[in-house]
Amino acid sequence: MPAWLPSWVTPQLMMSMLVIFVVVNSIAGGALYLILLERRVAAWIQDRCGPNRVGPMGLLQPIADAIKLLFKEEYIPRRADRVLFLLAPGLTVIPALISFAVIPWAGTLQIAGESVAVAGATVNIGIIYLVAVTSLGIYGVVLGGWASNNKYAFLGSLRAAAQMVSYEIPMGLSILVLILTAATVHPAEMVARQLEGQWFLLHQPLAAIIFFTCMLAEANRLPFDLAESESELVGGWHTEYSSLKWAFFFMGEYGHILVGSAFFTVMFLGGWSINPFTGDDLPASGGLVMILLQVGVVMGKVLALIGLIMALRWTLPRFRYDQVMRLAWEGMIPASLFMLLVTSVYVYLGLCADGLMWTGSLGVIFLIWLGRPLVARKTAPNHRIPLAGSRFSPS
Amino acid sequence: MHLAEVNLELYIPIGMLVVMAVLFVTANMVLTHLMGPRTLGANKDVPYESGMNPIGSARKRFNVRFYILAMTFLVFDVEIIFLYPWAVTFAKLEPRSPEATLFLARIMFFIATSIVAYVYAWRKGVFRWD
Repeated sequence: MPAWLPSWVTPQLMMSMLVIFVVVNSIAGGALYLILLERRVAAWIQDRCGPNRVGPMGLLQPIADAIKLLFKEEYIPRRADRVLFLLAPGLTVIPALISFAVIPWAGTLQIAGESVAVAGATVNIGIIYLVAVTSLGIYGVVLGGWASNNKYAFLGSLRAAAQMVSYEIPMGLSILVLILTAATVHPAEMVARQLEGQWFLLHQPLAAIIFFTCMLAEANRLPFDLAESESELVGGWHTEYSSLKWAFFFMGEYGHILVGSAFFTVMFLGGWSINPFTGDDLPASGGLVMILLQVGVVMGKVLALIGLIMALRWTLPRFRYDQVMRLAWEGMIPASLFMLLVTSVYVYLGLCADGLMWTGSLGVIFLIWLGRPLVARKTAPNHRIPLAGSRFSPS
Repeated sequence: MHLAEVNLELYIPIGMLVVMAVLFVTANMVLTHLMGPRTLGANKDVPYESGMNPIGSARKRFNVRFYILAMTFLVFDVEIIFLYPWAVTFAKLEPRSPEATLFLARIMFFIATSIVAYVYAWRKGVFRWD
């Protein structure tokens, strides 16, 4: 390093700035391209053409959309709470942008005698930072819906508040289960454990399922997008928004999908690990080519997860509201609490370190499956109204 | 870890990222505010409620059964925050050592108290939405 630089400018800091610069720009642009991908996937699943007019295969469509939205009228309803109304889109998009700081995209780069980690920030509380920052996204939704002074927006934001708060708990518990397995909250160390041994998906399949479901619910994706369910609430909490403020909500949503997938990749799919079963794997550090290969592996896993999320969106119908809340409070919280108890006993007995955690996880899944008939089925809350001539008619 | 050992230089990139994100949002908001057209209309300030004239304000009291649910959420969220440091320390202890037994017993008691609260809330009907 040149001598004229201050002491706090380290090679690691420069690498961090490079990663942050690349990541922020690729999220801002990548969110737009994810919208295009979403529309193309939707069209493909529904046997339509989708947007294919602007540029080759519609690839310039996001740019056209961005320019159009930039030149649209920025409208603030007169009876809205102006400060909160302007604050809400920012509060949605800022957590989505800053949460990427701690995700390790590859191992340690050995270049010019220095070794630097390819991550925005190598803080040792990475997982806690991620949990803290991603749950800030709820403020944008709630404040935006309330400030609009629109009943649809109000209902949408209330639903979002209750839903996100409820799914926060099983998400936290499944992350806790994983921390017990990995004995660290440092994302890079978590990947290192999985490079040496198996992916944590194999150790903790139940925690992975719970985490993935909660991730969908936190990002307000189908089947959990009750906050904006367009057939009931027009547009939900962003009904009154226009122009780039409206686009920020979408950028926030797709940013949350991206960070959730990256988070899942680091925690359960072993980051840049390519061998799920044994320790014969990519090295934890290497030259430029190896690092680029590792970044490619991570991005491939993230894209595969996004593809899965999009396929889920167009496959599953939307939940009813009480079903969403019951799934969280009466299904996933007991399951993840039970899993936490089983995991702590396994850790205490030393079975977790021996690689036998999967027996506990599969055992809990089996017990849930066994206990399924014991959970009393409630009567359907939909009251059928007898209507002459309809298929619900009593005669 | 003592506070003196925490390397605050590692947090510089996060601070810069926050500044970048805030600048990105502010710049775009100001830009679209300056570039967009401005029109006025008779019905423009009416909230969009499917074309109907809105009845009353949206700032109403609305029963979402939220209060007790929020309390239950707080119980569990605080519990989870307490459990993070415990999990890291517990997983690094020697298995079956007396220290690990103490750790396990303490946390079992802690979780058991919150399970009692959870069962109470369930029986009380907090999680019923219909």
